[in-house]
Amino acid sequence: DEILRSLAGPPSPPGQDPHGWRVPVDCVRANELCAAEPSCSSRYRTLRQCLAGRDRNTMLANKECQVALEVLQESPLYDCRCKRGMKKELQCLQIYWSIHLGLTEGEEFYEASPYEPVTSRLTDIFRLASIFSGMDPATTSKSNHCLDAAKACNLNDNCKRLRSGYISTCSREISATEHCSRRKCHKALRQFFDRVPSEYTYRLLFCSCKDQACAERRRQTIVPSCSYEDKEKPNCLDLRNVCRTDHLCRSRLADFHANCQTSFQSPTSCPGGNYQACLGSYAGLIGFDMTPNYVDASPTSITISPWCSCRGSGNMEEECEKFLRDFTENPCLRNAIQAFGNGTDVNLSPKNPSPPVTLPPKMEKSPALPDDINDSNTMYDTSIITTCTSVQEHGPKLNKSKEQSLCYSETQLTTDTMPDQKTFVDQKAGGSRHRAGQILPLVPVLLLL
Amino acid sequence: SRRKRARARHKPCALQELEVSVSELGLGYESDETVLFRYCSGTCEAAVRSYDLSLKSMRSRRRIRKEKVRARPCCRPLAYDDDVSFLDAYNRYYTVNELSAKECGCV
Repeated sequence: DEILRSLAGPPSPPGQDPHGWRVPVDCVRANELCAAEPSCSSRYRTLRQCLAGRDRNTMLANKECQVALEVLQESPLYDCRCKRGMKKELQCLQIYWSIHLGLTEGEEFYEASPYEPVTSRLTDIFRLASIFSGMDPATTSKSNHCLDAAKACNLNDNCKRLRSGYISTCSREISATEHCSRRKCHKALRQFFDRVPSEYTYRLLFCSCKDQACAERRRQTIVPSCSYEDKEKPNCLDLRNVCRTDHLCRSRLADFHANCQTSFQSPTSCPGGNYQACLGSYAGLIGFDMTPNYVDASPTSITISPWCSCRGSGNMEEECEKFLRDFTENPCLRNAIQAFGNGTDVNLSPKNPSPPVTLPPKMEKSPALPDDINDSNTMYDTSIITTCTSVQEHGPKLNKSKEQSLCYSETQLTTDTMPDQKTFVDQKAGGSRHRAGQILPLVPVLLLL
Repeated sequence: SRRKRARARHKPCALQELEVSVSELGLGYESDETVLFRYCSGTCEAAVRSYDLSLKSMRSRRRIRKEKVRARPCCRPLAYDDDVSFLDAYNRYYTVNELSAKECGCV
């Protein structure tokens, strides 16, 4: 430890490890560390006053604010992160954004994620899910994975309780005009996805389907009539602005962009080949304004979208389309969902990452690098970042939020080949909405006593 | 096996569970979803009170003739499980409450 301390250059104030050797600390804890230090806490107070109701440029014009920001970049507050579903998550995110809103150029297309990088893999879930596989002996071609997922959930008390919780909340009629409380429905959905282990929730959300009835059940998972659909479709950029006014929604969206960003570095198309991280941040968007869902009950071609369109974008058409494509035409997200459905994952051996595979230049130009990339305060060894990820379409700005994404050569990755995409439509499938007047529940008279 | 049956008949009142499809519940819903149905079964000999003995005696002495009385405790749910929701064959969600027993007792 002493050796590391001497290597790390200038000594740091007590109560904080030198930069670069620090394990990421959560922002609530970082705030406590800062509060214990008079110089840090007074600067943090100053900065928060600076940020209150002022944009970045006005703020940085003020000398005192500038100094406060510079000093805080040396504090544990600067690179603290939050965990999804942690205690005091909102408080943690408020602390995070109170620093980072002053560091960004205002409205950026992709924002760094305040969440800690996900290190677990899908295989961890499969291992747990294999408990279920013995449960359904009828694994014939007729099996409906979404139905099996519902069964697995119903047989687990915790999953059943929270699933019934959101379903009854989301289908409870309020009045003739308002057919449900969207706010309460979203809250119940968030509880379900935060508190139920992902081996249950992913199975319901990402089950693979061979016919329309199954795909319709999958589409219905989040009770879209209440949580997703609305009278009109807003413009996607307007929706994004609404989402960005809320710390939680903003963070989940940034996290989705960080983990499901199409990456040309990896054959999986996902950053670091990590499917689990992408599925997790997708599920993390459910129950917010940016709630995504399957747009139809097509069993084979999966199309995901939030409830918005690019109509009325004016001169922002291109940006809007780009934003929407991250949902509708996202190879990383699609591969992750398909891999989960097939029960496959990539085997990564993250030892000695070999140099990246050189790929033909892509149509998307990298944005100009932000001018603070030679900021010596980055936690990460920038040399690795430059060898590896700066070739990706987002600048290193984003990489500050992630662990250095390692690069893998194609030989280290084994992906299962896609199943052949047979379109198979069941004529009797229940995608069509029958009237079911005669099967109203026959409540036994006894219950009415 | 007769002995087995006899033993089963004398099991004290307790919670049992069964995996059933929603359609099998007979409530008029059409759905292939599987739910856990917990029910109460078993005997209540240990729960016989003076009340039961006296009531039986009153009945056999024809002191109680007209109304129907029950002179034995029976195994019933003391509390019910949380609601159960499911998607039916027509893609509509339903929630059923007090479907399953949570706790059993002799009453």
